[in-house]
Amino acid sequence: MQCEEARGRIGALIDGELAGEPRRDVEAHVESCERCGQELADLKRLQRQVAAVRASAPPALADRVRAALATEAAREVGTRPPVPAVRSLDALRIGLRGGLRRSLRPLMRQAAIIFVACLVSAAATWFVLRGADDRATLERDVLSAHVRSLLQDNPVQIASSNTHTVKPWFAGRIEFAPAVADLTASGFPLAGGRLDYIAGRRVAALVYRRRLHFVTVFMWPSAGAEETRPSSMTLNGYNLLTWSKGGMTYWAASDLNQGELKELQALL
Amino acid sequence: MNRLAEFEERALPCLDAAHNLAFWLVRSRPDAEDIVQDAFLRAFKAFDACTGEDIKPWLLAIVRNLAYRWLAARKKAANVISLEEAVSARTGSGEGIELATQEASAEDLLIGQAERALVAAALSELPPPFREAIMLREIEGLSYRDIANVAGVPVGTVMSRLSRGRAQLKARLTELFEKEDRDAV
Repeated sequence: MQCEEARGRIGALIDGELAGEPRRDVEAHVESCERCGQELADLKRLQRQVAAVRASAPPALADRVRAALATEAAREVGTRPPVPAVRSLDALRIGLRGGLRRSLRPLMRQAAIIFVACLVSAAATWFVLRGADDRATLERDVLSAHVRSLLQDNPVQIASSNTHTVKPWFAGRIEFAPAVADLTASGFPLAGGRLDYIAGRRVAALVYRRRLHFVTVFMWPSAGAEETRPSSMTLNGYNLLTWSKGGMTYWAASDLNQGELKELQALL
Repeated sequence: MNRLAEFEERALPCLDAAHNLAFWLVRSRPDAEDIVQDAFLRAFKAFDACTGEDIKPWLLAIVRNLAYRWLAARKKAANVISLEEAVSARTGSGEGIELATQEASAEDLLIGQAERALVAAALSELPPPFREAIMLREIEGLSYRDIANVAGVPVGTVMSRLSRGRAQLKARLTELFEKEDRDAV
């Protein structure tokens, strides 16, 4: 083996990274070559010298790292860290507190379950009551609006049987375009339209006639997109019918019978 | 065994190695200790990702990356004098380097305090990649493959860094010893 070739491999030799034939070759060369033998001795001495400057960790670092790890582990589990009991007084205090906590634990759990149950029950009651209340208020609102319009000289603000007169009248007065249909052929001539106020908002009200009866159809955009089938009810002798379709909620109020009211609903 | 106990059992034996690497990269004991603590926390959080049999190279790689990040941050702080400059300004005395060795070992008896100071000074002058390769090899006894994994470079690069680092270190040490001999006379 040539000197140049061997020289570059002496490092690998002392690092134990040579094996088999290459290792034997380099070893043999180093034995026979004075300069390479010196290089090997120098590198070995360098190894010892460097090994002597190892910066070992100070003893306190191990404790510090352990404490940090315990905190992290506790944080992951979501509990308090097991505090390293350094002083005996601290240890006693922590021990007492821990024992107290353990004995309170089943009781606290029961209390928590009862508390959550109460909360759920209260929320459910409030939800049901509020829902029922809303519905009743809405029915009364609709009926009142209908009856009040009949008490006045004219139940409409824009009197026209022409849909192209009535529909544009709403533009700018409310923030949606109401469905206006000319149902004269079906026996429900359009009397006109007006604005009304139901459930805290401005709504469109269209008035249709059936013989001597008036039908007010209120409409406003629904909160949800779902369509609901017509549901009818009777209040103070008036018939109400509500449904939602195409993102709008409709309420029809009239002293007309339910059958004819449904007939109108089917046409809209 | 829970996760924490398992981690401590496997990682804490590497504490000296971690501290040694951090110290020799950043050459400040408080910073080295912070880096080690940070590295152990990160290692613990990512413990599941360590699939290898030997945790040491993986852990040292984390230490190394944090140390380099720290070095980069120090470089950015323009008003701080580089330790490299500070050390080379008083090369030979070696008193700029505070050795972390706690007690006299067999090696300490073989190699005197003065010699260790010179070695420390010479090591401090090496570029960090050389220094880290030499530290991992000579002190931690890592294989070329493990050093390559820690430093994130090919094995060939490790070999050339070791060889060049040793040559530089040897030359510098020879200079320093000669200078000291002259001063003694």
